[in-house]
Amino acid sequence: MIELFEVTKRFGEEVAVDGISLRVEKGELCVLVGTSGCGKSTTLRMINRLIEHSDGEIHLNGQPVRTFDEVALRRRIGYVIQSTGLFPHWTVARNIGLVPRLLKWPRGEVRERVEALMALLGLPVAEFADKYPHQLSGGQAQRVGVARALAADPEILLMDEPFGALDPITREALQHELLDLQARLHKTIVFVTHDMDEALRLADRLVVMRQGRIVQQGPPLELLHEPVDDFVASMLGGEERGLKEAALTRVRDRMLPLGPRLLAHERVAAQAPLHQALSLMLWHRVDRLTVVDDDDIPIGELSLRRLVGSKS
Amino acid sequence: MSTAGSGAVRLRALPGWLGPLGWLVLLLALSLGMGWLEGLLRLVEPDSRQVLYARASFLALLGQHVLVVGVASLAAVLLGVGGALAVTRPAGRDFLPLVSQLASIGQTFPPVAVLALAVPALGFGTLPIIVALLLYGLLPIVRNTLAGIQGIDPDVHEAARGMGMTRGQILRQVELPLAAPVILAGVRTSVTINVATAAIGATVGASNLGDPIISGIVNGNTAYVLQGALLIGLLAITVDSAFERLQRRVGRRGVQ
Ligand SMILES: Nc1ncnc2c1ncn2[C@@H]1O[C@H](COP(=O)(O)OP(=O)(O)OP(=O)(O)O)[C@@H](O)[C@H]1O
Ligand SMILES: [Mg+2]
Repeated sequence: MIELFEVTKRFGEEVAVDGISLRVEKGELCVLVGTSGCGKSTTLRMINRLIEHSDGEIHLNGQPVRTFDEVALRRRIGYVIQSTGLFPHWTVARNIGLVPRLLKWPRGEVRERVEALMALLGLPVAEFADKYPHQLSGGQAQRVGVARALAADPEILLMDEPFGALDPITREALQHELLDLQARLHKTIVFVTHDMDEALRLADRLVVMRQGRIVQQGPPLELLHEPVDDFVASMLGGEERGLKEAALTRVRDRMLPLGPRLLAHERVAAQAPLHQALSLMLWHRVDRLTVVDDDDIPIGELSLRRLVGSKS
Repeated sequence: MSTAGSGAVRLRALPGWLGPLGWLVLLLALSLGMGWLEGLLRLVEPDSRQVLYARASFLALLGQHVLVVGVASLAAVLLGVGGALAVTRPAGRDFLPLVSQLASIGQTFPPVAVLALAVPALGFGTLPIIVALLLYGLLPIVRNTLAGIQGIDPDVHEAARGMGMTRGQILRQVELPLAAPVILAGVRTSVTINVATAAIGATVGASNLGDPIISGIVNGNTAYVLQGALLIGLLAITVDSAFERLQRRVGRRGVQ
């Protein structure tokens, strides 16, 4: 559990973070969004003490971070940055094993751990263990970055725009992998991003920041429906918030069981997000879709009226 | 890695070292058998009674030369790398501008001038030349060490700190290995220049391969000058090609 109480950071005269309070529960994935320079990275770096906060208190599991030895503290917190920061003179395996080695794990255990993590992140050991970072694609390098952060099994993970430099397809793949990992590992994660779709997809708790302050925080749907001001509304997509919400809802949740009518010709997966169903309707110029399960077996139908959620 | 494996690697690396070794053999052969060139040297100095420099054995002069350059370079490496590292630490950062400026001013200072200043202070002989070479050789080492350390991607540094490496671990495991190729290039420049510069030590009474050159100039015997210059040139090439090999080994991994 991470708690920030009235935390402020000043660089000289400039106030980068201005009295923010935030509580991230154990196992929660908290996403920080906000305009450039609003203090997201600074907030993250105060948690692992790469920057010392000027005022307020930061607690990990109820204990102030200032009471920890900073080196020991950082070894307990995974840290992932956009540019990966992989050591260019070390192989993938050595990069991943960094923190366990710093913690003086026996050599065999480090190797086992590295191999387990490579498997977890879809990096075949035979192919990647001995490669150097410059031989990797952006997506592979970022997987290595995530593996390195997870290596010593930290309870907390800080991720600063980790997928920001990747193409949309790779980014989405990594987002799904992160969600899968999170479902299994239950880390406490603070994640910074500029991509609102990414934020909405990943967040348990969404935090909107502006000029060093938190403007609003809460579950993504709550912020979509009840933004406190125009700034939050526009951050969350303005007029397109309807589509953003549809992206968070599954077809399964709106479909009706199969009725007596003929099956509609076009199909949509029950797992698909609602905006995809809408897109299919627009594309095929129809107002009814057949909903199918993972095996492509029809299990229900979705009408435009149901999709938009109108009553009756 | 198995012993057989590393043995194979060593064997494969050997041909690369043949270059420097070849130059070394040539250098030693000529130091011992300058007499073989007597005929050629006669062509240069047909009028002189004697064309072979005989006041001291070339091997002894070579030894002196290597010793002076070696001691001066070793001290320059320790001082230069140490100093440059010190001013790139948080505690020493205030001195960074001063040191980089001193390093670049140093280069504009001719070694002869350093000698001229060193002799009154330290007297004649080997010591002033070592001091002159040390000061002169410091510059490229300091400059390159600074460039090597400052050239490291700040995000690599950020990640190293973020992962919980101590300052010492970052220095030894990240900064030094990443800066090594650049530092080594500075050492190479420094040592190679000093092999040539050491010759002027002969003017202040240090006996080394500069002796034949100075005495050749004084006595108007071009053959003497040639012998000294030839051996100094060979020594410089030997040293330089050895560094070239070393740099290739150090630079081979990872960083492109
Ligand atoms: N080390 C530093 N020294 C001085 N000022 C800093 C430092 N780090 C950050 N700042 C300032 O603090 C403010 C917040 O920076 P921060 O990096 O936290 O923003 P950010 O929200 O992460 O922005 P971005 O989305 O562009 O990454 C900025 O105005 C920045 O200039
Ligand atoms: Mg940032």
